[in-house]
Amino acid sequence: MKDDYAMAHLSNAEVARYGRQLILEDFAVKGQLALKNASVLIVGCGGLGCPTASYLSAAGVGILGLVDYDCVEINNLHRQVLHDEEKVGMNKALSIAASLKKQVLNSLIETRTHEILLNKDNAMGVISTYDIVVDCSDNVPTRYLLNDACVLLNKPLVSGSALRYDGQLTVYHSDGGPCYRCIFPKPPPPYTVANCSDGGVLGMVPGIIGTLQALEVVKLLTKTGDTLRGKLMIFDGASSSFRKIKLRERREDCSVCGRCPTITELQDYELLCGASANDKDADVDLLDEFDRVEVKEYKRIVDVSSPHILLDVRPKAEVSICVIPGSINLPFNSLTRQVCDESYVGQISERCVECNSSPDQPLPVFVVCRRGNDSQIVVETLKKTLEQLPVVVKDLKGGLHAWASDVDPEFPVY
Amino acid sequence: MGCEVRVVFFAAAKELVGCREASLSVPSRLSFSELKDILLEKYEALKILESNFILAKNQEYLDFEGDALVVFKSGDELAVIPPISGG
Repeated sequence: MKDDYAMAHLSNAEVARYGRQLILEDFAVKGQLALKNASVLIVGCGGLGCPTASYLSAAGVGILGLVDYDCVEINNLHRQVLHDEEKVGMNKALSIAASLKKQVLNSLIETRTHEILLNKDNAMGVISTYDIVVDCSDNVPTRYLLNDACVLLNKPLVSGSALRYDGQLTVYHSDGGPCYRCIFPKPPPPYTVANCSDGGVLGMVPGIIGTLQALEVVKLLTKTGDTLRGKLMIFDGASSSFRKIKLRERREDCSVCGRCPTITELQDYELLCGASANDKDADVDLLDEFDRVEVKEYKRIVDVSSPHILLDVRPKAEVSICVIPGSINLPFNSLTRQVCDESYVGQISERCVECNSSPDQPLPVFVVCRRGNDSQIVVETLKKTLEQLPVVVKDLKGGLHAWASDVDPEFPVY
Repeated sequence: MGCEVRVVFFAAAKELVGCREASLSVPSRLSFSELKDILLEKYEALKILESNFILAKNQEYLDFEGDALVVFKSGDELAVIPPISGG
């Protein structure tokens, strides 16, 4: 525990370190002391959490809490810049704490790691000990959980999000401003929510949004400038444009921050949102075993040159990474749940003629995607659209990931 | 009296509609729910979002209470903004 004198004064080491921000007129010593005495909780140690933690640690926020249950993966490194190759498999909160110690070398601040998935039972206990919460999470249930917890505990919530080339940023429940539920009372339908794993993300976009989240935290703590309370900042990385949308005031009838709230304790947020509190894809299990084939079985069909068609339903960008030779690309849009091109019916029909297929000897049509989820949805669709043709449509179980693990260890995995 | 407004789509809305900007004819005075009906009729793909988006006129949030009046003039911008949740 630092003593009262130390908390009310800057040491020579602190003056030397923070000099360039100390000389800012509205920041000054009072601003630095505000940071020194503050505790900030960063929820999510990924693409947004890395820059947020970096800058808040560098700026001298006294206590930095880091929450993440997940471990570092190699596909995180293009955007989660405080993790590195040596930390693959390590818990992300621990990894950031270790990097801050090494890279930022700020011996004047303290980090606290929480290697947990926040839920209705543990969130209040963790959040209550911090002054401000920064939402750097990657999923809808956690966003509603943090919102409700921050309203119930009366803490400001600095919320950022990023996907593809797009970013969003605002400050909820601050100084009488609206909360997340005032703006989005109902969670989105789960299948309309893309994650970074499926939708992709350019690393700089969360980098920019996370850096702006750190700036909002500093302004809130030091009471300088205007925060994004009641305003939604939208960043479009593709056109390098920022837009600021003026939001509404707090909603009088908001279910959590309104006059007569119906939500007075935390709920089950996975149930509320119909989704898991992570950004991993749930395995789809739509089809009967009869409609599916193991990748090893498919390999035997290829090896004996048995006539068949392989439809690869991934988007074009993914096909450019790797492909099973001889496949036909038929991109499936997971958002609209439709295949983008209808010309395949003609192509398959021609192959049926070439191969002399008949209702007794139907031509097998195999459908493959990255993980074996979308392919199942497409099999269901094709069974209807190809009903008139002498074909039998089957899903390649587990997709290209299974192909790489069970058949071709040289096949790239993304 | 009608007017042409510039509709700008963000995030999932941009992906569903397949473009970033479009032009839309709307009456110059209408209720929020009428505006949403016109938008969803022209851009049916947005229906799957089940109203999980903000509409903003000239960068200002439009309240989703059904009977709130919205007044447009030609050249106004209407932004369709679903939340992003990735990080």
